[in-house]
This record gives sequence, C-alpha cells and structure tokens, in this order.
Amino acid sequence: MRRANFFLVGLICTLMSLCLAADSMAAEKARGVTDTEVAIGQWGPQTGPAALWGAVARGTGVYFDLINEEGGIHGRKIKYYLRDDSYQPMKTKAIAKEFLENLGIFAVVGGVGTSTGMAVRDYLAENKVPWVAPSTGSSHWTIPLQKYLFAIYPRYTDEAYVLTEYTIEKMGKKNIAFFYQNDDYGKEGLKGAKDYMEKKGLKLAAEVPVEVTDTDLKSHALKLKESNADAVILWVLPKHAAIILGVSKASGFQPQWIASSTLSDSNLMHKVTKGLWEGVVYANFLNMESPLIKKYLDAQKKFAPKEQETGVFFLAGFLFAEPLVEGLRKAGKDLTPDSFVKAMESIKNWNDWLGHDCTFGPDEHQGMKSVYLAKCGPEGKPIKISDWLTYKGGK
Amino acid sequence: MNLFFDLIIGGLSIGACYALVALAMVIIYKTSEVPNFAQGEMAMVSTFVAFTIMTGYGVGFWIGAAATLAFALVLGALLELAFLRPAKDPSVLSLIVITLGAEMVLYGLAGWKWGANQNPFPVPFSEYSGFKIGEVMITEINFWTFVTSLVIMLLLFVFFRFTKVGVAMKAVQQNAFAAKAMGIPTRRILTFTWALSSVTGAVAGMLIAPISTLDTNLMMDPMLKGFAGAVLGGMTSLPGAALGGYLLGLIENFFGGYVSLEFKSVVAFAVIVLILCVKPSGLFVKHFERKV
Repeated sequence: MRRANFFLVGLICTLMSLCLAADSMAAEKARGVTDTEVAIGQWGPQTGPAALWGAVARGTGVYFDLINEEGGIHGRKIKYYLRDDSYQPMKTKAIAKEFLENLGIFAVVGGVGTSTGMAVRDYLAENKVPWVAPSTGSSHWTIPLQKYLFAIYPRYTDEAYVLTEYTIEKMGKKNIAFFYQNDDYGKEGLKGAKDYMEKKGLKLAAEVPVEVTDTDLKSHALKLKESNADAVILWVLPKHAAIILGVSKASGFQPQWIASSTLSDSNLMHKVTKGLWEGVVYANFLNMESPLIKKYLDAQKKFAPKEQETGVFFLAGFLFAEPLVEGLRKAGKDLTPDSFVKAMESIKNWNDWLGHDCTFGPDEHQGMKSVYLAKCGPEGKPIKISDWLTYKGGK
Repeated sequence: MNLFFDLIIGGLSIGACYALVALAMVIIYKTSEVPNFAQGEMAMVSTFVAFTIMTGYGVGFWIGAAATLAFALVLGALLELAFLRPAKDPSVLSLIVITLGAEMVLYGLAGWKWGANQNPFPVPFSEYSGFKIGEVMITEINFWTFVTSLVIMLLLFVFFRFTKVGVAMKAVQQNAFAAKAMGIPTRRILTFTWALSSVTGAVAGMLIAPISTLDTNLMMDPMLKGFAGAVLGGMTSLPGAALGGYLLGLIENFFGGYVSLEFKSVVAFAVIVLILCVKPSGLFVKHFERKV
C-alpha cells in the first residue's frame, strides 16, 4: 500500500513539473499566440434590444473562416471567440475577463456599443490587449490616444462635420435642424454639426433630442416643423428614424432628410418606413462597389449559408477585421502585442479593403476619417452621390 | 395656435393607445388586484402573430386581425392556466412576480422566433393622410385608433355592468371567497379575465405597431405609459383608466411641445408619483377602502 502511495506521489510530482515546464515555455510566447494559432475575441449583441447589430460579429467570423481557408497568417489559423453580451456593459465586463483569464486571447476585434466598450476599455489597456476597430464612432477610443487601441469607425463628430458641410455647400440647404438621440452617440453627432456651423458663423435651426425609449414622436416632429428647416440631420436609432419620417409626413413637414452612417442600410430602412426612406441622403463608410463584396458574400454562402442578415452590418464585420488581419500580416512570425502595435502603426494609405485610406501612426490611432454619401433610390437601392469626403478640420 | 391643436391631436391619438393598454391592465386588476406586467409582451407577441399571418400567408388585414384576436384570447387563458393557477397560496406580490417572469419568457421567445429586426406593420388605413380641419391634419390611423379605443371602452363598460359574467367578475374582485360560496366559478372567471385582457392588449398592439415599427420592444414604452395612465385615472375603474390614458397622452405632448422634449417621457413617472401622494386611488375613482 505504502509503495503504491509513493509511486502515486512520484507520478504526480513528475506530471506537475512537466506542466510547469510547459507553462514556462508557453510564457515566452504572447498570450493567445502559438505557432499554429492566434486567438481573437469579439463581443456583440446576439440577443436583446440591439441584436440587429449582432450581425457585425458574425460577419467577422465568416471573414476569419475565409482567411483560415486561404492558409491563415504566417502559418497561424485564427481561432475566433464570439460572445453575446446582449448590449449590457455588465456582461461585456464578464466576457472581457473570460477572454483574458480563461480563453487567453491575443486581441479583441470590433465590439458593438459605446457603453459596452467603455466598460472594458481600461481593463483591456491595463492588460496590454490589442483592440482593433470598436464598432462605434465614439471619440472615447482615440481621445486621448491609447497604445493598444486602434479605431476604424469614423468619429461621429467628424462624420457630422462633413455631412453638414456637404448639406450646406453642395446641396445648397440653408436652414438645418438636428434630430439626435439624447446620449453620447447623438450628442457627438450634434457637436460635429455645431462645430461646422460655428466655423461658418451659422446656427442650427433647431436641436431636437429624443430619448431611447420614446415611441410617440409627434411633439418632436412639430418642433422640427416649427423650425422651418429645409434639411434635417438624423442621429438616432433606425426605429426613431422610421417613426419621425412618418409622423413628420403626417404633420405636413417634408424636408430633405440626411442620415448618419448608423442608418446606412437603405434596403432595411426602405422596408421599415414603407418606402418613405426614398430620397434620403445618408453617410456610409463601407465601399459597396468594392470587388471584395462579391468575394465576401460568396464566403458567407459557403461558411454561413443560414445567415439572414447579409446587409451593411454583416459586411461591416469584415471591414472592422480587415485592418487587424493586415496588422497580423505585417507583424510577421514574431507576434507580441508590441510588435503588433508597431505593425499597425506602419499601415499608411492602405486601400485593399472595404474602407478608405486606412492610415495609422504613433500619434494617430484613428485609421479612417472618410465617409461618402449615398441616396436611397427606388426599392431601397443605394445610389452613390459623392466621392469620399475626408474630415480635415482640427485633429 | 396650430401647434396647440396639433398637440391635442397627437396627444389624443397616442393617449388612445395608452388607454387601451390601461384598460387591458385594469381588467385583470379589477378581478385579482394584480397589475399584470406581462401585458405589454402579450400584446407584442399577438401583434407579431398578426404580422406573420398577414405578410407570411398573404391573408387580408381584417381576417388576419380577427385570427389574431382569437390567438390573443387563447394566449391570455393559457398564460393564466400555465403560470398563475399552479401558484400555491399566492399572495398578490408573488403573483406580480409571476407576471414579471411571464414577461421575460414571452420576450425571450419573441426574440428567438422573430429576431431583432424592425418590421413594417401593414394596415388598411393611411398613416400620412386623412382629413384636415384648418391646418391641422388628422390621419386615418389616428382617427381610427381613437374611435376603436372609445368603442372598446364602451363595450367593456357595458359588459361589466350588464352581463352576468361581467358582474361575476366584479364579485370575484370584491370578495373571492364569498363569490365562490355563491356558486361563481372563480377560477374560470380569472382565466376569462386574462383572455379578455389579452384581446384588448392585442388591439392596442396592432394600433401602435403601424405608427411605430414592429420589433420585440414594441410595447415597452406604451406598456409603462398605459400603466401610468391607469394609475392616474384609477386602477379600479375602466372609464377612469381610459381617461387617465388620454390625459397622459395630452400631458406628455404638451410638455414636449411647450416645456422640454428631454424630459417628456419622464413626465409620466412624475405623474405617477404625484398621484400616489395626492390621490392614491386615482383621479376618477372614489377613495378605495381596503376590504377586511
């Protein structure tokens, strides 16, 4: 009996020391990186009120499948972890912990939501987790600049700025009202528009806020009508955009509607508004004319044939992950968070993706600053009406 | 001055929706003293069923709506049978918690079945045109929403006042034990209340969906506002609750139009607090005394 015990203890000791050795060998590599794999995580609302945007994270999954099929990056396949946070910051926090402590991921990509992202931004930074392309245009990602965080989504402030500029200078509108969601998202858009107006010595005809939970927008529409605006810029949820167009029409108010890139799915908007969306001008930063679109949708048919949401949000999942993959390529075989950051910062005027002119640098972690404008045509068909418009004012 | 009349029209038409939700709540509250927090999701699910019948199977609006009301009737009865009846020695509080649970189950199921997309809800009335009085436009959907709410309120009032079942329902509320002793099948009455309430809610859902967009969050806001309206008017009175709904719609719209849009949706809750402090039984109800 005693001998058996000895044997057992001996075995356990040997096993443990072997494990430790393996651990210390692994420690030389960065977290989430092996010779054959690199682990990437993303959270996205697959359920709950914002589940519509969950398609972003699923798009990224298909993109990684495509990359893996083409042989991966420097011999490494991407191992992708998609987690549902239902758009709740508390859950996002738990997911970030799981990513780091249980799964051991190398980097985070995308991630819908400003408040969800803000809940984990500092945690990821402290643990030196590279994070590419949070899927909102908040300025919190790049101001102040953070070493491991790279933003792609054009900042709402910049987008609103060029959108307002275009409305006044190219479309000849004089009286512009702004309809915005009363939180960070809407207010950043408002700020961008006001910045431009102030620079030109102009004023907005009206600033009308809407709460996320509001359903009845009659008084909002009447406020907009009272302002006699000939153009109204929308910085709201798809639902509120649809309601305000309907109620305004019923109130006899039909200005030129201008919408932010969050409302750029013209097919969807045309359907939801029962056709009212036709003629609306909106910003977009996803190049729908790129030959890559066909390649990506073919990949979707192959890897995710059951996917129903293959519109702008789904494709944005590809767009947000493209710079990450480019960074991994440039970083080479020897992949650590620091070598990755260096590689990302060396991307300049890169255009081989769905976006436009991706440029990073040691002082610039906002990779994209351009949008183009499109108009919703008959049956929701998008018609491109402008070239890429790049924000040049300020930093 | 146009703004004033526009706000009245806007207030009354959304108020009519609140009134319907308030009525649905009060029907159940009257018999069991339980505010049913699953009310909104029940209506939402019914509206989705209507949507599926109409767009998926190409059925016309009226047949689709009738089928939906039948569905709502069954749904309400089923929920009562499945969730509330099995509760042992239920206190009002535990019943309320059960309705909250039912709310989450329905919300989850709807999200799983119909997804997160916004959907356009087709109706045979125009949302954009109607008739004009001076410069003020009353759209067809606004008009019919208002009329429907009035008709339903009237029907319910007559039902509770003059039919045997209606009177039995009131009896159950006032003293369930005595009612039972008098030979009223109290359990069946309760099931029937849920069915009736569910139908009223479904009507509300089908009238709210076209002026909003149909998604799983359709009833979140109207349900809270309807509840606020019911508290405002009085939870124990059908006409009171409906009037409360109209009043709340008007208050909200005037507040939004003349005071502040930012705080427009909060007004409803300020109203609840105020009423609970000043006249807890509601504006249009005689003071409610606890039965011993």
